[in-house]
Amino acid sequence: MLRRFETYAVAADAPADPVRRLEEACRDCGRHIPEVLDSAVGWNLSGAPVHLVWEHAFESPEAYRRYMVHPFHATVLDRYILPDSPERVVADDTMGAGLVGYRCEEPVFRIDGGVRRLVLLRLDTAAARRDVAQLHEALVAVPARVPEMAVSVVGANTMGPAWFDGVTPITGPPRWTHVWEQGFASLADLDAYRHGSSPLAAVERAGWRGWAGGIVRRAAEIHYERMTPEPRRD
Amino acid sequence: MVHLVDNVEVEPECVERYLAVVRDLAVPVMTGAGASLVSCATTAEEDGEPVCIQIVWGFEGYEQWNVIRRNLVLDPRWYEYASRTAALRTGGRRRFYTPADFSPT
Repeated sequence: MLRRFETYAVAADAPADPVRRLEEACRDCGRHIPEVLDSAVGWNLSGAPVHLVWEHAFESPEAYRRYMVHPFHATVLDRYILPDSPERVVADDTMGAGLVGYRCEEPVFRIDGGVRRLVLLRLDTAAARRDVAQLHEALVAVPARVPEMAVSVVGANTMGPAWFDGVTPITGPPRWTHVWEQGFASLADLDAYRHGSSPLAAVERAGWRGWAGGIVRRAAEIHYERMTPEPRRD
Repeated sequence: MVHLVDNVEVEPECVERYLAVVRDLAVPVMTGAGASLVSCATTAEEDGEPVCIQIVWGFEGYEQWNVIRRNLVLDPRWYEYASRTAALRTGGRRRFYTPADFSPT
């Protein structure tokens, strides 16, 4: 599967109605493009310079390529996003997180409702593969010690540079090399993790300094309450 | 053929500058990416209202648009064109049209 996130900073002068339509178009995208799976949106509650987050997934690169050429993508989603559209409501991405995502074998990211948290990591590009693998193992293992964290998935940010076909990088290395995706039942559970006594929470509070051989060079986080498509009225 | 139609509103004093950006920047960027310029037209300026400028780009279909969009995203001039036109218009609307089978274009 391809797991994918788009994040948007809403322009300061954007009218409310088209912003709401963008939110709905993302949230309900699977109704228009059946290849879009696990669609949900949320408004970022962290201090990172993004507002709207759209999480979704695709069964395969082939499914992703069908999404890319679907008319709904061009005619509705892009209407509010592309820089040259007269109906654009978003601002330029300053965080380097406009599009991030990773590959996974199964939809291990799934949660019902709840809160999503993304920790974007920039690892030392010269880090040894073994060190990266150990970091991966440590992050995935967090829920074993932190029952409030229902989901913990880590992946290399392959979608950022491979946004055209989901496989082939067409731009340079992404600012964020890895995505650590977390799921919580509630904001209270997220707070319990962040302020709790687990080693990883302490590592985060310390700014990742020195941990895992110092391969984490930068980190940023986004979290939001997930809004999933509303049931059809028909 | 699919037409991408931008209808934008521009104050009368900005019309010439807007058209110049379209002619000198948008046309080479868009045609270089694979689209064709179908038409560019304005409403009259003398009625005291904002002028509407309509720009129509053409391409074969959404498969081709996907390639055009990729080319635009990778072209720094596209962002300059977008920024300069955004600063000159007061509003607008973007829609994609498929011409009827009896339409000449």
